[in-house]
Amino acid sequence: MYGQQENNPRECLLQARNVSKSFGAVRVLHDVGFDVYRGEVLGILGPNGAGKTTLFNLISGDLKPSGGEIRLGEVRLRGEPPHRRCRMGIGRTYQIPRPYSGMTTFENLLVASVFGGGRSEAESYDFCAQVLRDCELFEKANTLAGSLTLLDRKRLELARALASSPQLLLLDEIAGGLTDEESKDLVALISRIRDRGVTIVWIEHVLHALMAVADRLLVLNFGEKIAEGEPKTVIADPEVMRVYMGIEA
Amino acid sequence: MTSISTSADAVAAPPAIRVRRQTVSGVIALSLFVLVIVALSTMPWWAKTGTIRMVLELCCYIVAAQMWNMLAGYAGLVSVGQQAFIGVTGYAVFVLAQTFGINPFLAIPLALVVPALVAVPCYLLLHRLDGPYFAIGTWVVAEVFRLVASNLGWVNAGAGMSLAVMREYSGFERNVAMSVLCALMILVSIGGSYLFLSSRYGLALIAMRDNPVAASSQGINVGRLRFMIYVAAAVGCGFAGAVYFMAQLRINPPSAFDPMWSNVAIFIVMIGGIGTIEGVLIGALIYFVADRFFGEYGASYFVVLGVMTVLVALYARTGIWGMISKYWDAPWFPIRRHLLVERKDRA
Repeated sequence: MYGQQENNPRECLLQARNVSKSFGAVRVLHDVGFDVYRGEVLGILGPNGAGKTTLFNLISGDLKPSGGEIRLGEVRLRGEPPHRRCRMGIGRTYQIPRPYSGMTTFENLLVASVFGGGRSEAESYDFCAQVLRDCELFEKANTLAGSLTLLDRKRLELARALASSPQLLLLDEIAGGLTDEESKDLVALISRIRDRGVTIVWIEHVLHALMAVADRLLVLNFGEKIAEGEPKTVIADPEVMRVYMGIEA
Repeated sequence: MTSISTSADAVAAPPAIRVRRQTVSGVIALSLFVLVIVALSTMPWWAKTGTIRMVLELCCYIVAAQMWNMLAGYAGLVSVGQQAFIGVTGYAVFVLAQTFGINPFLAIPLALVVPALVAVPCYLLLHRLDGPYFAIGTWVVAEVFRLVASNLGWVNAGAGMSLAVMREYSGFERNVAMSVLCALMILVSIGGSYLFLSSRYGLALIAMRDNPVAASSQGINVGRLRFMIYVAAAVGCGFAGAVYFMAQLRINPPSAFDPMWSNVAIFIVMIGGIGTIEGVLIGALIYFVADRFFGEYGASYFVVLGVMTVLVALYARTGIWGMISKYWDAPWFPIRRHLLVERKDRA
């Protein structure tokens, strides 16, 4: 089952130290460092092009860092490909949902449970049904993923990531493109997942959604960390207000 | 298992679920499949030699098309060079039987090791290429094989080889062998593909087809799965080549490495419906019938086949089976997992 782990609030699950990434001469991330503690929700803010998704890609193994180190618990992540990182306990969603369109919602979860979660197919049936219930997708279990609405596709992204039983869940702008009502539903769902003890790092532009759940915020700008801490303190930071909201203090 | 939805859910246990894999249409198709296998393996007792040769040709097309379907329709590897493995295995049978004196019927399973071994370095060479570059690469590899065979004295270079050892067997014995091989080819290619697609690896394959990036982030080793499919497709094509050329009793480089093999496989899969086993069977029957009735028209017949493929690619990408299944949800080879809630009175 995902979550349900006993969390020591100061036990560090993810450590990033001096993480950098360049594409040729273009520096996308520069010396970024932060910790993610077990059971917390860390929100990541930043304008477009700040390097947020690149940071996720480095953690999930889709990209290799140009410098610095990332640790998951005691393990230093080196060159493990995404499928191995998933099995190590890193689950992720994508900014633009990537469902397996030719499969049903239930089968989408089966894939994650069997290959990411390491369960047998028979063991996965009940587990996936429960995740579908949790994510309010049970009624659409036999619907082709390609025909789901945007909200349901976002739920499916989340459900599929949960089906791989992650220790660390990376959410990439999961509330983007949703109405206020829809994002409220999604926030409630993410809160419930957090309450089960899943550690979450959440990139989001929908500030009220992030503020409702995040324990701490980290702000990136042009690939550099400009603020980190309590949400209210960070959001009131003059530099964050200038960079992110265009408000000169 | 604890629910996180609502407190009410936590009190009331969720209803039991079950997963349905088989369908009525699937059971009927499975029964027919078994009948076809029995009919194929007993051909010498009810069919003439000419009919057996025709059926054998059809079986070879089905195998080649299904292998291409697995490659392009599931693994996203569009190859136009599968004739490399058809030719190599055909030659391997001739060399084993004619040059080394091994029983020709035993030579077929032994020869299947060759495409597997050849596919490994080919894949290592080609896997860095993407999309059209991969396709061109596979064609180049097949042409290299043809050129090597054309210049290799050991296999009688461009003149090719004959399978004279087959004279030691009576016509009936050959028919029995060909019939059993036909049944085996269909059992392994269609039955094997169905078993594979029904398994957990089938889930991975379809996920990889639909979105390789997401599949990788869900724990699927996309690179290894593609490699497995490439090698398996090489062996499958090799099987078809081995049986086809054994029946022909002759092999030479132009026929062994004929790009027509890939063209026919692509036609069959595109017309029938890519990414489905049903589509391959429908497409193969259409090609076979068209070839029998219109083959004599030569070039103009091929133009018609080409135009049909283009029209299907433009206006009906899911092929004939895709159009049928839009209106009639009755798969012959069901691989879907339907989640059903058990009714309380049944529990």
